[in-house]
Amino acid sequence: MKTIIIACGAGVATSTVITSYVTQLLRDNNIEHRIIQCSLNEVRMHIDKGDLLVTSMPLKEKYDIPTVLGISFLTGVEVSKTMEDIVSYLGN
Amino acid sequence: MEFISSIFNYISGLGSYVMIPIMITIVGLVVRLKPIKALKAGITVGIGLIGLDIVLGLIWTNIGPVAELFVEKFNLNLTTIDTGWGAAAGLAFSTTIGSFIIPFIILVNILLLTFKLTRTVNIDIWNYWHYAFSGATVYMLTNNILYGFIAAAAHCTISLRIADMTAPIVQKSLGIPGISIPQGFAVSTVPIYSVLDRVYDTILPWTKDKQDKKIDSSKLSFISVIAEPIFLGLIIGILLGLSVGYAIGNSLQLGMSMAALMYLLPRVTKIIMEGLLPISEQTRTFMQKKYQGAEFYIGLDSAVLLGLPATVSVGLLLIPVSLFLAMIIPMNTTLPLGDLAATAFFISMATPMHKDNFIRTLISGTIMMAVVLLVASFFAPMITIFAQGGGMEIPAGAVQVTALSAGNLIALIIYQLSRLGFIGIALVIALVACILYITRQRKKETV
Repeated sequence: MKTIIIACGAGVATSTVITSYVTQLLRDNNIEHRIIQCSLNEVRMHIDKGDLLVTSMPLKEKYDIPTVLGISFLTGVEVSKTMEDIVSYLGN
Repeated sequence: MEFISSIFNYISGLGSYVMIPIMITIVGLVVRLKPIKALKAGITVGIGLIGLDIVLGLIWTNIGPVAELFVEKFNLNLTTIDTGWGAAAGLAFSTTIGSFIIPFIILVNILLLTFKLTRTVNIDIWNYWHYAFSGATVYMLTNNILYGFIAAAAHCTISLRIADMTAPIVQKSLGIPGISIPQGFAVSTVPIYSVLDRVYDTILPWTKDKQDKKIDSSKLSFISVIAEPIFLGLIIGILLGLSVGYAIGNSLQLGMSMAALMYLLPRVTKIIMEGLLPISEQTRTFMQKKYQGAEFYIGLDSAVLLGLPATVSVGLLLIPVSLFLAMIIPMNTTLPLGDLAATAFFISMATPMHKDNFIRTLISGTIMMAVVLLVASFFAPMITIFAQGGGMEIPAGAVQVTALSAGNLIALIIYQLSRLGFIGIALVIALVACILYITRQRKKETV
């Protein structure tokens, strides 16, 4: 079971877009998972539970778990690269 | 024509619960969703609006009485509750203008792209609510639907042009090429931050070109705990209760109501968002196929800017700053609440425009929050009427609703001009034409 934290400004708008893509991606790859969708301010509280952090914005702050920038899910540019990254971090 | 308008009047008479699902379904079919998916999108958005109505009920029943006591006890006129951007977006989409806004703005964007008046392809459908809000307030004022649509188009056009102009700064700041930020609120802050930046060059010369790339936001971790929405709601509720002389029990009840409001509003907003998602995906795919290449910018939500260090820390500091400003600004009637969870959005453009300088961003943010409080207070009566559109009975009383994120200067200017009726709308069009003309030169320089 993998836990993915998906964060955006308020945990409502852009993170919902990313969540819908990531859910589909992990289903397609048969990766058992749960998703925590939250705001950037709340990441700190969930980080110890997470295996991967996906955000809608580039972060300067570093966390202890792998972090993937999910902006391509919004722009539609190089989505497959982002998807590969996510799967490679979660796959064993 | 009369037949069509009588059908339209019948449907809109059924209230936004019925009208919006029908409109969203039609929009879904227009963007070529499968009928069943289009219907699901429509119903989901409708469910979100009903949810929004139920949650806002907390304000009328539990929070309203306190606002009245606040006026009596302290002569502090904080009679308007800030419901946050999610509620404002839902309410803007639930208006007549809002129900048409998605196809309308896409059309405006395509026209502007065709005539090379913008380079931004705005695929951030969700934030069309800002344009819908400008349109809906003008429609309410003038009772002329055409004026409403012109107002929405005006806000959209100005946003796209400002997005074009700020695109180089945004791209440099994020290190991502080919994007811009046409989000209806973020763009309204650009002229102010731009002027302020020049003022800082004169009065704070030592902050010039001083980047604060590494700000230790962990020093602010005590705020970030309180910044969690449910704690914010609880604490503000209890303090508010105690300050108006409620017993401890009643204060705790009020605290719980406010915590519930803070927790539930984003949840119901997410339902509306999920409903719009398939439409926004379809539109994005369509627009991107049509407008590919280096000459176009992809227009995104200002959320993509919120990871900048100065934005994170100033965003947290703006929570106490907003509450303080709300109490001391004489004309303000708004009690900040919902948008306290999203204060970083108000300075999304400040950080890149002030080159990551902390002090400049903090001063700009404080000034912006003061402006936003006043404009949000101004729009409160209109937003309260939008909230009544769903058909829920709102008890007559002193309490109103607004959202800080609706404290939009562009919307305010368009609204004030529209007071003049036909001449006002002509002035709005002239203003947009002027902006397009004046910024024409600058656009060439930055290209």
